[in-house]
Amino acid sequence: MYLVLENIRKAYDGKVAVENLSLSVPKGVLFGIIGPNGAGKTTTIRMIMNIIAPDNGRIVFDGVQADQSFLNRIGYLPEERGLYKKMTLREVILYMAELKGCKPSEAKGRILPWLQRMGLEKYVDKKVEELSKGMQQKLQFITTIFHEPDIIILDELFSGLDPLNVELIKGVLLEQKRAGKTVLFSTHVMEQAEKLCDYICMISHGKKVLDGKIADVKAQFGRNAIQVEIEGDGSFIKSIPGVAAVTDFNNYLELRLGGNASPQAIMRQIIEKVGVRRFELVEPSLYDIFIDMAKIDPSELAMRKGAANG
Amino acid sequence: MDKFWVVFKNEYAQVVKKKSFIVGIFLTPALMAAFSLLPAYFAKKSASVAENLVIIDQSQAGVGEQFDNALKQYRLEDGETPHYVVDTLIELIKDDTASFKRVTDSLKMALNNDEIKYIMIFKPDIEMADSNMLLISNSEGLRTVTKFEKEISKIASTLRLVKSDINLSVDSVLSLTRRASLPQEDAKGESVGFETKWFASMMFVMVIFFIIIGYGQVIMRSVIEEKSSRIMEVLVSSVTPFQLMLGKVLGLGGATLTQLFIWLVLGAIVYMGSGAMALTIDPGVTHVVFNPVVLVFFCLFMIFGYIMYSTLFALIGSIVNSDKEAQNFIFPVTMFLILPFMIGISIIQEPNSNMARYLSLIPFFTPTLMMMRIIFIAPSASHYSLFSGILGEAALSFILLLIATALVIWLSSRIFRVGILMYGKRPTLAEIIKWVRY
Repeated sequence: MYLVLENIRKAYDGKVAVENLSLSVPKGVLFGIIGPNGAGKTTTIRMIMNIIAPDNGRIVFDGVQADQSFLNRIGYLPEERGLYKKMTLREVILYMAELKGCKPSEAKGRILPWLQRMGLEKYVDKKVEELSKGMQQKLQFITTIFHEPDIIILDELFSGLDPLNVELIKGVLLEQKRAGKTVLFSTHVMEQAEKLCDYICMISHGKKVLDGKIADVKAQFGRNAIQVEIEGDGSFIKSIPGVAAVTDFNNYLELRLGGNASPQAIMRQIIEKVGVRRFELVEPSLYDIFIDMAKIDPSELAMRKGAANG
Repeated sequence: MDKFWVVFKNEYAQVVKKKSFIVGIFLTPALMAAFSLLPAYFAKKSASVAENLVIIDQSQAGVGEQFDNALKQYRLEDGETPHYVVDTLIELIKDDTASFKRVTDSLKMALNNDEIKYIMIFKPDIEMADSNMLLISNSEGLRTVTKFEKEISKIASTLRLVKSDINLSVDSVLSLTRRASLPQEDAKGESVGFETKWFASMMFVMVIFFIIIGYGQVIMRSVIEEKSSRIMEVLVSSVTPFQLMLGKVLGLGGATLTQLFIWLVLGAIVYMGSGAMALTIDPGVTHVVFNPVVLVFFCLFMIFGYIMYSTLFALIGSIVNSDKEAQNFIFPVTMFLILPFMIGISIIQEPNSNMARYLSLIPFFTPTLMMMRIIFIAPSASHYSLFSGILGEAALSFILLLIATALVIWLSSRIFRVGILMYGKRPTLAEIIKWVRY
């Protein structure tokens, strides 16, 4: 295991933010920490970053207890972002790279290719304050991985990015993973984690709810969900016997089935009332699993999901 | 340690590259010259100001006329003090209270209208009691009062002598009881005036004051900016808070030294290139300023005073969330810097008094107060010892300043590393103390 958290705990003024959390992150994977806001994701990441010290437990990085000497091997993008407004893009990238131990002579040549990749090359000698918010975010992403860290830690990476830029950054992350780098990121948007991660860890109220390979996690729950796209009003579906819960994803519905309900019987009942465009037996989404496991109010999560997608 | 240099280099470059730095290099000396040199220049070059006075003389002994004559000698004196023109000499009879009241009332009106500056009233028998005379003025200068007192003393003494039965001529008694005036020179046989030293000390103290206040606030703002823009989290994931704090303080310090160096070079060029400086600065000032002892201690106090104070400013930046919040914390710090200006007068009146000694040993005051004392005492010393006299005290104060600087850095770094990641509510004093122990 590349990065190991052992029983870490952190409380602020008696309020527990992270409780007895253990995690194992293998090398060369995309690892997602998921959970709603306030679950303890940022606190966990800050402890990994050695920004705050855990009250209990220890963090082992590459076989050694983590300390300041690992800082150069980590790239960190905090949730709340900002950059020196009065510095030019070139200066910012160079400064951040030097702080991570890069040699300026070596770093200078790599600035422009990175900016080109992110579509910011025009601004190389402009001040940061002239960039739009999304552009600043991309610039900050560059500063996070510019020094070629072994482990990349991203707190709520995608919030505020448009889909094109999300794809751009996803591409870079996959490339990093293929190069053997480890990427750890937190998000409260389950769909993103589901599409991108190899491993996940779910946190709720400071406690780990569930973790492991995403395929294993889902396998635990079996194929007991149905995604269905219908034409017309589907409000009757939740009263069909055997349907335990319905989540309305706007474009489609996801039904979770009770113990030994028959998907065929349910399909028949739906077809009788409305037209069906798609009917698919699927693994439950992370979102459903999370709601199941964390026993939190789904409306809270759904609202946030909506906000993040919009 | 190499991370420290990265921060140092960046802070230095960011300041030196700014337009305000270039402008400040030229503007600050210009402003300082305007504020401190020009008044002296004008005083020296402009003609002596004439001040009108009216004498009301009820003595019936010619006191008014004698006073009038006595004042004439000041007309030719140097331009620094005003000379006096007796506008009118009004002689009144002792018992004519009605006209006395009428005259004084109208004169007071003239006084309020700035037509005259002084009303000097001599009642009968001024030699008997000082209460028999009165100077009425809305703006009397200290020197004027001293001169008037000196002249009136002579007149009164003469009157007393005439009345007494001492069998000597008035002139011989006056010459026998003449007040002595004490010539001064230092051990090297040079006489540097009090005002020259005062001027030189003010110059040094102002430079220290402006640099500490100016750059201290730059550091504070930059910490606040890094905090509020959350760059801080990325920074502390790259460098230790201690490296960051010291890199900022010393990086800006390097910029300060650059600025001072440029000023020194500019000053030397102007000084050598033309007599412009000589017009305003009398040679005594250069004599005081270019004393190696003064310059060495100026550099030491400047550098370490700067480090100590700007570390405090960095500390303030780390515990607040905005410039506005910082104001409350800045006040006590600037108090330490302003206080020497307020008590400076009494320090220079007696630079060796116990109060001056003890206060100048307090590290927060050392850069300003000890600097003043060195300027007042050191240039006169003919031999120097680091273990006694003013240099002994200066050396001791410097050691104390070093210890205090180290303590301030230690304490600030404890608070800084917690403060920079605290957002929202401003911490209470109790919380800050907890951070130190944490």
